[in-house]
Amino acid sequence: MKRARVLCVVIAMFFLTGLNYGCARQSGVGQQAADKIVIGAPLSLSGKYAKEGQMALWGAEAIRRWINEVNGGIELSGKKLPVEFKYYDDESKKESVQSLVERLITVDKVDFLISPYSSDLALASAPIADSHRKVMITHGAATDRVYQQGYKYITQVYTPGSRYQTGFLDMIKNKDPEAKKAAFIYEDDEFSRSVINGARAYANKQGFEVVFDKTYPSKPTDLSPLIQELKTTKPDLIIGGGHFADGQLLTEQLSSLEVNVKAVSINVAPAIPDYYKALGVKAEGIMCPGQWEMGVKYSPEAAGKAGLEWFGPSQEDFAGLFNAAANQKPSYHAAGAGACLLIYARAVEKAQSLDPDKIREELGKLKMMNFFGTWDIDETGKQTGHNMVVTQWQAGENIVVWPPEAAGAKLFYPLPSWAEKARGTLAKE
Amino acid sequence: MFDQLAGNLLFGIVLGAVYGLATMGLSLIFGVLKIVNVGHGQFIMIGAYTAFWMFTLYKISPLGSLFIAFIIGLAVGLIIFYTIIKRLTGAPELTTLLATFATGIFIEELAKFFWGPDYRGYNWDLGRVDLGFTLLSYSKIYALLLSIAIAFLIYLWFQKTKLGMAIRAVVEDRQGAMVCGIDVQKVYALSFALGIALTVTSGVLVTLFVPVGINPYMGHEYTLKAFVIAVLGGLFSPWGAFYAGFIFGLLENGSYTVLSSIPGVEPFSLTRTVTFLVLLLILLIKPDGLLGGKNK
Repeated sequence: MKRARVLCVVIAMFFLTGLNYGCARQSGVGQQAADKIVIGAPLSLSGKYAKEGQMALWGAEAIRRWINEVNGGIELSGKKLPVEFKYYDDESKKESVQSLVERLITVDKVDFLISPYSSDLALASAPIADSHRKVMITHGAATDRVYQQGYKYITQVYTPGSRYQTGFLDMIKNKDPEAKKAAFIYEDDEFSRSVINGARAYANKQGFEVVFDKTYPSKPTDLSPLIQELKTTKPDLIIGGGHFADGQLLTEQLSSLEVNVKAVSINVAPAIPDYYKALGVKAEGIMCPGQWEMGVKYSPEAAGKAGLEWFGPSQEDFAGLFNAAANQKPSYHAAGAGACLLIYARAVEKAQSLDPDKIREELGKLKMMNFFGTWDIDETGKQTGHNMVVTQWQAGENIVVWPPEAAGAKLFYPLPSWAEKARGTLAKE
Repeated sequence: MFDQLAGNLLFGIVLGAVYGLATMGLSLIFGVLKIVNVGHGQFIMIGAYTAFWMFTLYKISPLGSLFIAFIIGLAVGLIIFYTIIKRLTGAPELTTLLATFATGIFIEELAKFFWGPDYRGYNWDLGRVDLGFTLLSYSKIYALLLSIAIAFLIYLWFQKTKLGMAIRAVVEDRQGAMVCGIDVQKVYALSFALGIALTVTSGVLVTLFVPVGINPYMGHEYTLKAFVIAVLGGLFSPWGAFYAGFIFGLLENGSYTVLSSIPGVEPFSLTRTVTFLVLLLILLIKPDGLLGGKNK
């Protein structure tokens, strides 16, 4: 009995201490002098987005190092403050995202947020961030839908999904006006639908004929029924895919069913080295819209020409910092996440405040270029300044082929046939 | 349209054979040990990685990898049995369910730790056969024939060998088997190991069907399908599982052609609905599954 009483007292003490501590932290907001700026994010380090989440983490870390070590920190009220990046593994799950965003805001008391990777996870996190008045920049979340919900504090660094494949269509129309028949075969998820909705509308506007337009559920193990049907429509070009595994599957089965077309543009999957390693010569000539690629021509000079301010490391410096942490080249997932931190740094320095409303206003006014590209958002938070590039696998290298100002090589068109590729023909002059 | 239907049905048969073999392992473990292996898909993933690494590092073809995968499966199965499963005989079903679920997650994260989350693939392209209505690659033909061959070998093993008969005896009448001098624990260990070995081997065959997209998290899709097929075939019967695999593959792919002729419908997403609806119907008519009812 006595022991039980002592236990109760001890537990009560812990409880009261915790309560006190919590209260102290609450009241401390705004009054304690900020000695660092904390940016938080749920990131997928396990589950289906593990690859992209890891890339995003390394990218954010690389830029954090640049801000703290090269830039000396962020200038606020006469002091240079370091950036701290706080993250948790959301396991690629919506439920985890929601509780982790809540935790980052209420327990870790981050100043700003960047979203989890992927349109559906970002959509899950947006209402929570917005209701807590926490500014969030989404990366890896191209769906237009987030910015149609009336949120006040959610902004975007990526080009939205609706503009993903429009560059590819421009490029094909420019190269071969006779190639009119387009086939869409894509994953039935938020992101892929937003890409194809945009592509379909643009294709119709530009005079293409959509001959096939069907989805497949997420994580398919076999696409052969769709592809058999697609083959009968004899398209000139194929646009589609979703994420990584299904993008590889789609390519592999187009090859095994020998669906020969003039051009193929697949979302996401062809952007990483794994794609070529897994598919080998089958990957030759396959194109992918990219948010960013090593070799794009964003620089202080390009910024000057476009009348924009420049902030942040050069592409090479970013790649160097990234390589130090990751021991490989950065993908666009890494670059996009890193760019979010740069945008916040610049916004804080210009607004000279950490207040969410002031920062959101500054993000809206800000027009700048960094190694990732242009930042210019509309009043809904949607990105309007950043543009996609189109990359193509040519002789084992993924090269930017569009737009001409960013291109490192000429487009290889039309695609070699699958049989030619099997005999070793590469997509290079 | 008939060309497409024929093509879809053919691919359904090939895929179904692979699904069927994969599910045999699940049914065997449940039939003998009454344990539901919720981590089923992760063992298929191990088989897929085996095929990938053997080909990439040592240029061993998937045919050779089948034997290696089988041995790996036996070893892994025995380790898991003696470290985890044995301690759980007689435990409530929820406990064994949780144990196999946790084991599956553990294997997945181990795979990610050692091999990374990257999406792997390999290229063992032997060409294809032009059947007129579709193109069938030789690797898929191998997948079909090998699935059937392995299933048949296992059947013979159960019928003709002492160990096989011992397993059947334990399933039929555990007490009677003990009285006859059969070491029931060893039978359990062997059955579990064999079930895992079949599952890992089917992972190699999965890569013959699709040699790309191999990653630590690929197993989950197969687990769900395996459960459906196992129930369809009668939970106690590995042979039922094998036949049910064919039916599942045929339904999944065949229904596409029918659904795509309905205007305004997204056929592929509906194939899953249709397959599950048919499963429900079959279970309503025959609740023990196609070959269930009596332990086989």
